[in-house]
Amino acid sequence: MKRTLVLLLLVTMLLGNGLLAAFAQTPELVDGKFTTTREITVEIFDRANEGGSKPEDNFYTDYIKKGMLEKYNVAVTYVPVPRWTEVDALNNLLAAGDAPDVCVTYSYPTIQTYAEMGGVTDLAPYLSEHKDLLPNLWELLGDQNIYWDLDPEKGTLWAIEAKLFVNKRINTFVREDWLKKLNIAEPKTLEEFEAMLVAFRDNAETLLGADKDKLIPYSTSYDVSWRNDHLITSFVPEGLTEKEAYVRGFDDRRMLFPNYKEGVRVLNKWYNDNLVWKDFPVHGAGDNAEDNLMKAGYVGAFTHNWDYPYRNGEDSIHANLQRAFGPEAGYIAVEPFPNDEGIYRKFLAAPIDRKVFFPATNDEPLASLLYLDFISTMENRRFLQIGEEGVTHEVQENGAIKTLAVQGEKIMNSLNNIDYTITINGLDTGDAEKNVLSIALGYASVEPRYIERAFELSSKDARYGKNYSVGLIQAEVGMNTSLPNKRDTFLTQSVVAPVDQFDQVYDSGMDDYLSSGGQAIIDERQAAYEKYYE
Amino acid sequence: MQDLRQLKRNSTVNYLKRYWTLYLLLALPVAFIIIFRYFPMAYILSAFKINNILHPPWELPWAKNNGFEWFIKAFNNRDFLYALRNTITLNLLDLLLGFPAPILLALLLNELTFKRFKRITQTIVYLPHFLSWIIISGLAVRLLAQHEGLVNIVLQRMGLNPIPFLNTPGTWIASYVSLGIWKEAGWNTIIYLAAITAINPELYEAAAVDGASRLRRIWHVTLPGLRPTIIVLLIMSLGRILGSEFDRPFALSNRLVTSVSNVISIFVYEYGLKGMQFSLSNAVGLFQSVIGVFFLIGANSLAKRYGERGIW
Repeated sequence: MKRTLVLLLLVTMLLGNGLLAAFAQTPELVDGKFTTTREITVEIFDRANEGGSKPEDNFYTDYIKKGMLEKYNVAVTYVPVPRWTEVDALNNLLAAGDAPDVCVTYSYPTIQTYAEMGGVTDLAPYLSEHKDLLPNLWELLGDQNIYWDLDPEKGTLWAIEAKLFVNKRINTFVREDWLKKLNIAEPKTLEEFEAMLVAFRDNAETLLGADKDKLIPYSTSYDVSWRNDHLITSFVPEGLTEKEAYVRGFDDRRMLFPNYKEGVRVLNKWYNDNLVWKDFPVHGAGDNAEDNLMKAGYVGAFTHNWDYPYRNGEDSIHANLQRAFGPEAGYIAVEPFPNDEGIYRKFLAAPIDRKVFFPATNDEPLASLLYLDFISTMENRRFLQIGEEGVTHEVQENGAIKTLAVQGEKIMNSLNNIDYTITINGLDTGDAEKNVLSIALGYASVEPRYIERAFELSSKDARYGKNYSVGLIQAEVGMNTSLPNKRDTFLTQSVVAPVDQFDQVYDSGMDDYLSSGGQAIIDERQAAYEKYYE
Repeated sequence: MQDLRQLKRNSTVNYLKRYWTLYLLLALPVAFIIIFRYFPMAYILSAFKINNILHPPWELPWAKNNGFEWFIKAFNNRDFLYALRNTITLNLLDLLLGFPAPILLALLLNELTFKRFKRITQTIVYLPHFLSWIIISGLAVRLLAQHEGLVNIVLQRMGLNPIPFLNTPGTWIASYVSLGIWKEAGWNTIIYLAAITAINPELYEAAAVDGASRLRRIWHVTLPGLRPTIIVLLIMSLGRILGSEFDRPFALSNRLVTSVSNVISIFVYEYGLKGMQFSLSNAVGLFQSVIGVFFLIGANSLAKRYGERGIW
């Protein structure tokens, strides 16, 4: 009797506890609004711009805070994290258990590592439970981006992938005024491009006069695979299969793709023919020596981020050139590298951007998801991206949005407030045509034709990355810095090697890359692909 | 017997009564060392545990291979072995060339009779110490680049061939060591100059009376007077033989010389911190420290065997 009583007591206690717990977990949403104010913290990138506003407290954060409080009764607090060291800062916050409820980073390996340690919330159950409360998030991202990182075996989801709305990468640029001066047509093939570089070199006196010794026909940096991507990947056969693209796709610069070496060989030849900036290997990351050479007007051609010469307003490379050499001067994007089938193929990233995740310390997952839904709502993200009409933007006759530079409290600390719209990267006015026009208008003092051309060529004939849900590739753990460093090292050494030593330098570098973990990754990816997709 | 003990206790009490303020002063640094140097040592355990920094290591299961997974992983990694080799090479060269440099400089400074000139020179040689390696690496690239570096431009104008100071492993090591000497030699003279002032001037006078030349005086008076200081500093730098700076090789390096410039700290940075294998970095750090302690003890006992005082 006594035992039964005890048992009964125990059962009721457990039940009661369970019920209580279940009750506590039931979000008290009445008509889509919490009955008691919930508090969440959200990570925000801090760019420490000169003249910028406080990233955690300004006109735009007030907009979100007010909206969240009115709509859901959720109070939002921002936690600034330095933009350029975000991974290190996030590491510290996560390790200390102090990370904000809504975290954002570009580094999926970081999320993965903390997930393995038990430090990240599995989003899958919350998303399926509350899907009907998150229509705007779903509309923007779709199943594709939301479930991009879903583990095929365990069904866990550690992060949501933001949408890369404007998917642009790089362009090859040449000095348009030099082409005119030397009466050279825009290069359309590798041979023409090389002939153009030779012409730059041989006509240095015509182009630069007394500064002729400073002329650099083509410049690059130690980041060889980024800064020469169009040239090198034009050697990758068009027939590359999806499987091969995935299996050899660990390196996001496609360095493991077939025939890559032949593209690097061209650079090596150019370097030895005095067509490439001689001192590029000794300048490291963040060194602005090369920019200064471009601004001074010494550089004939280069490959870089799709809008590189036009960035930074009055201090852009373009603006500097125009000031020094007149309105004719400037770099224009060209398309000189067809592949084996004559297509100007560009390898672009998958349409994913930053990764949003909730650390395990997040005790308001629903309020946090509602936050994501709020900033994904068209009306809200449009406001965050372009601000107030007449203040931060004006609408042109053709409907394009012209961004206006503004000082003071309504200043945007990042282009189109990308740091607040963490579920989307790239201006979205709601109309594809207006988007292009608006982006072209976004570069003050640069003629729109330059931007429109760069915008078009950067993604023309693109081949996009695809998602393969195969779970964690164990061989990739811990390799995200060491292998890219090896790649940069042996590619740089290959470019500057004497022509007759190129093969030896490249091959031994590649051997080292593969035996230091590269091959293990290829093998594991191959096995995973075959398991899930064949 | 009783009295003796009483006496001893009294003297201790008196001693404490007299000097307790000094002990109080000591309490703070001791507390600092215990809290920030000894407590964290408990986390050395994580070198033997699975890679997880969200939980204290004593709550975690052991790593594979009886806890030695990370050590095995490090020693199976070719890059670690290269890093080990490069660390030892660079540190030995630093020791060989960089250690005598401040002694020599201190001796020279000490011989300067014109006081104002001496002071100005001292200030100038101290200055580089206050520059960070990032700044120095920027200067180095601008000055020493093979084609556009100022030094090479001057060399070429004089009809000489440019020297690839930073582009080949051999020349890079030479630049690395020389820049290290340039930066730190001046600053390191301070301790030697202080030791020199402690030498009894009568010794110099006696030597002068005996007809010793300046060089003889340096050799027979100054250098022996500096010996204990030199030995202590030598022992301490031997303890750091496997230790490695991070900013100096990291900032000065470039992609052409990584075969000699990747040292242990860079290995830890790439694989351990950036690769988030914290247990691996801890294992490597522990290895470095243990070897460092062996060198320290070895050097100390060697010094004692040859009749020096050592550091303890």
